[in-house]
Amino acid sequence: MIEISNLVKRYGDKKAVNGISFTVNDDEILGFLGPNGAGKTTTMNIITGYISSTSGSVKVNGHDILEEPELAKKEIGYLPENPPLYHDMTVIEYLEYICDLKGVSKDKRKSQIDNILSMVKISDVKNRLIGNLSKGYKQRVGIAQALVGNPSILILDEPTVGLDPNQIIEIRKLIKSLSKRHSIIISSHILSEIQEIADRVVIVNHGKVAAIDSITDLSKRLSGQSKLLMTFRGPSQECAELIRTIPGISSAIVRVTDSRVSQIEISIVSNSTSDVRVSIFNCMAKKNWPILEIRSLDPTLEEVFLSITAGKRRAN
Amino acid sequence: MYAIFKREFLSYFRSPVGYVALSIFSFLSGYIFYTQFAYGSVSISTEVISLRSFFVIIVPIITMGLFAEDKKRGTDILYYTTPTSLFSVVLGKALAAFALYAVMFINVIIHIIVTVSCGGVFNVGDFGAIIVFFFMAFMFIAIGLFASAITDSQIVSAIVAFVFILVSQIISVISGYVGTAAGSMASTLGLSNSKASSIGTAVTNTITWFDPFVKTQDFSLGIFSVSALFFLLSVGILFIYLTYRLLDKKRWSQA
Amino acid sequence: MNKEIINENKNNDSRADKLKKYSLASVVLLAAIVILGNFLLDKVFGKALTFDFSYSSQNSISQPSIDYLDGLSPDTHIRIVGLFNRPNNVDGTVYQYIIPLLDDYVKKGDGKVSVEYVNPNERPSIITELDPDNSFDLASRTDSFVVSCNGRIRVISPIDCYYYDENYYSTYGTYVITGNNTEFTFTNTMYALTQGISKKAYIVSGLKDDGNDNLTKILESMLMEVVMLPDSDSFEIPDDCSLLILNGPNSDISEKMYVEISEYMKNGGKLFVAVDYNTNNVTEKYDRLNQLLNQMNINIDPLLVYENDAGHQLSGSAVNSVVTVSDEFSSYVSISYLTNSYARNVRTSDIPNPDFVTKPVLATSSNSQTLMLDSTGNVVANGVEDIGQHYVAMYAVKDGVVPSEVFVFGTMAFSSDDYISQHSLNDINVDFFRACIRELTDTSVDSQINILSKNIDSYNIDATKATTSTSTMMLVIFMLIIPIALIALAVIVYFKRKNL
Repeated sequence: MIEISNLVKRYGDKKAVNGISFTVNDDEILGFLGPNGAGKTTTMNIITGYISSTSGSVKVNGHDILEEPELAKKEIGYLPENPPLYHDMTVIEYLEYICDLKGVSKDKRKSQIDNILSMVKISDVKNRLIGNLSKGYKQRVGIAQALVGNPSILILDEPTVGLDPNQIIEIRKLIKSLSKRHSIIISSHILSEIQEIADRVVIVNHGKVAAIDSITDLSKRLSGQSKLLMTFRGPSQECAELIRTIPGISSAIVRVTDSRVSQIEISIVSNSTSDVRVSIFNCMAKKNWPILEIRSLDPTLEEVFLSITAGKRRAN
Repeated sequence: MYAIFKREFLSYFRSPVGYVALSIFSFLSGYIFYTQFAYGSVSISTEVISLRSFFVIIVPIITMGLFAEDKKRGTDILYYTTPTSLFSVVLGKALAAFALYAVMFINVIIHIIVTVSCGGVFNVGDFGAIIVFFFMAFMFIAIGLFASAITDSQIVSAIVAFVFILVSQIISVISGYVGTAAGSMASTLGLSNSKASSIGTAVTNTITWFDPFVKTQDFSLGIFSVSALFFLLSVGILFIYLTYRLLDKKRWSQA
Repeated sequence: MNKEIINENKNNDSRADKLKKYSLASVVLLAAIVILGNFLLDKVFGKALTFDFSYSSQNSISQPSIDYLDGLSPDTHIRIVGLFNRPNNVDGTVYQYIIPLLDDYVKKGDGKVSVEYVNPNERPSIITELDPDNSFDLASRTDSFVVSCNGRIRVISPIDCYYYDENYYSTYGTYVITGNNTEFTFTNTMYALTQGISKKAYIVSGLKDDGNDNLTKILESMLMEVVMLPDSDSFEIPDDCSLLILNGPNSDISEKMYVEISEYMKNGGKLFVAVDYNTNNVTEKYDRLNQLLNQMNINIDPLLVYENDAGHQLSGSAVNSVVTVSDEFSSYVSISYLTNSYARNVRTSDIPNPDFVTKPVLATSSNSQTLMLDSTGNVVANGVEDIGQHYVAMYAVKDGVVPSEVFVFGTMAFSSDDYISQHSLNDINVDFFRACIRELTDTSVDSQINILSKNIDSYNIDATKATTSTSTMMLVIFMLIIPIALIALAVIVYFKRKNL
């Protein structure tokens, strides 16, 4: 359990973190969301003791990170955005070193390393040089490193950034499986990534907490709106009018992308809880306008913030 | 501390750096030993005392990566976020470099064995020279460590360490020039010649007082000076502490 | 409003500020402690915490010097000034055995000895300060030390502190140091300065080529002032002469000298004569010198003493042999066998002078003979004389208020520079010579401090093992095989790990 209260970090005149407070409960996955530069990494660096806050406190299982740093750090496994890997060591050498560093006793070491290796599925590369591994494997080694010492809390800073989709899925699965034994803080600037695995999310923007909510509540809040992007061939004006007549659609903006074949792109916002795509398909089929693509657009974080802040304003 | 020591020490042998440093040291000490041997008279203390001149080459090689490489790769975050104290990290790194020096010294031990088996002399005076050699290694390693902590580039760190050690090596030369300059300045200010030259000499002596090489020169004659050893040790500790403070700065720095 | 913001900033940054202040303060404090601590340790305890671990205690003064310094009255101040800046590195220089030892004098001198280094070029006043009459020409002695006490000074040049191979020096002009005599030189110089000089010794010069440096050193250490008395038409023995020395002349004395010395010996004169039989004087019969010595019942023959007794020969040489000290003089040294080389036969003269009592000092075995050689070193026909005991040194004395005394040595193995520098001031022959001088000048044993000279550190290795081939082997092993093997290892490790 981590209690974070009133965290402020100042760099010169700029406040990177400005009064962030939240709590991480045992055995939950907390998504830590925010656009780039919102103060996610700074907050995590403060929680893990890498830098000290200008004011405010962090308590890890009751130990203040500044007053009892060694006890607090024992409880935390940290995967920074840039995994701290020695490229000139093999995986096993590296993990042994981390064991030494975290003071894992000699008799527990072997079983712990074997456990971690199989848990993060890197047993097959354990004798290879870290520098020669693929990005996904490196990320796994980074996670393995955080797991050494069996900390009760894992803090993962953008664990999937820069990975290909397959790797992202693998890592996500891994994190999900880890949540059985650890509470996890996972940061990201992509909402969908968090949505799938987190129990709760903290959204920060400009160094402040914008929202703290469970995923279900957040989904509800966002579910009122969905966005579609559609590409098809047909007359633009007529088409827009037709679509606007479909029930549940609140707006449709049309843009001609290729006038020679009258190809147009239309972005649609619907308020309906039902799927409007079927109605759209039926309309288009009747007119014999071929649909080339329908894509549902996830809301960007900025949009989430907009909607959250808008919601707040409405509530007020 | 042990974890850091072990990793850094082994990493010397996981990359070519350790072997290259060993090779250079072997070659240089071998050269000194060979010239003495060919002359028919081998003084181990003279060999060891002359080996001090090569700190300027070897120390930067073995210390340049200690912190610079960590900073570049971002692995230094481990020192802050794992339950180890920063001071023990600094100490562990210094000890690793020191241990590499001890390994290099095996060369001299072989030379000693050859000397003694050829009817040469190895006595307590030589032992004093060896002790001062290690104290000096400690001090220069601390300086190299500091140079490594101020930058994330190995090259910059090596150059800084090189310059630091070089300056300390030629302090007595520098002090001569500074003393002469001070003396002539004093005489242009209207002081009598003898007064001006005594000011110059005083300036020279003051600067020379800091010269670790002058301080420990007489060890080759069997003179064992505790205060000289204390000087080396305390300056080494000062630099280790400076390095520690430099790393600790990250916690509170607002830059 | 602005003020508030500033205050807020201050409050918010207090944690960082505190850490920063603590960090800076601790660094400054530690640096100050290091510098101050070192300075204090160096200045206050530096000397006390310096130990001499050298093989032969080169850098420490020995007990006799310590005792001497302890015995001095507390207000004594002996000032030693090196006329140069103290070198940073003395290793391998002539000062290697001197400067560290002088530090030890200061350390153990209890404030009675001070050592400083002043370069007269930087401080010309030092010369007039030390030597107001400029009688020592200090300006030209900028490699030397000046020892000053009670307003008197002595100058010690570095080479005074060593024994060196005299033969090598005369051939090649460079010094090959064979022994370290620094402590003896400095302690006895201090001793002479603190005791005062009682006697004046005159050494006749101009009758031979080589010098009397070591002889001078010995006499000075016995608190005598030594003055050279050159051979000239105006040769005259001063009234204050306590001892006259004729050390190894290669040519006979002049008529004037004969007259002067004869006169001197009539009234309680003290004379020491040493002549040997070498290639430079083999044809010299020393007629006038013998004429003089005959007055004291002594004659030096132009004959080489040849020892036939194998037990007396040194390394099988008949001309380098052991001689026996006569009973009368056996108290001079602890053993009764001394060495001689190329000795002339010394005997009582044919017409005795009843005023003088003559005693043999050094005798050969009863199985020795004398030979006469020609200028090429070959035995002259019929030059072989009878076999029996021969003498190589004699003593004669004439009683009086001040007795006239003379020692005549037929060998140079007691007083020549060559011999002394090869055998050191601690040699038994040199000791015997000192005893003779003491007899002549009537001084006691205490008039010098006996300090054993020290060996020069030798790092030589066994020449049979350090041959050209072994040193080539060293070259190959230490400068080629080991470094290259290590580089090869580096390459192997690099490529092996690269592909892991």
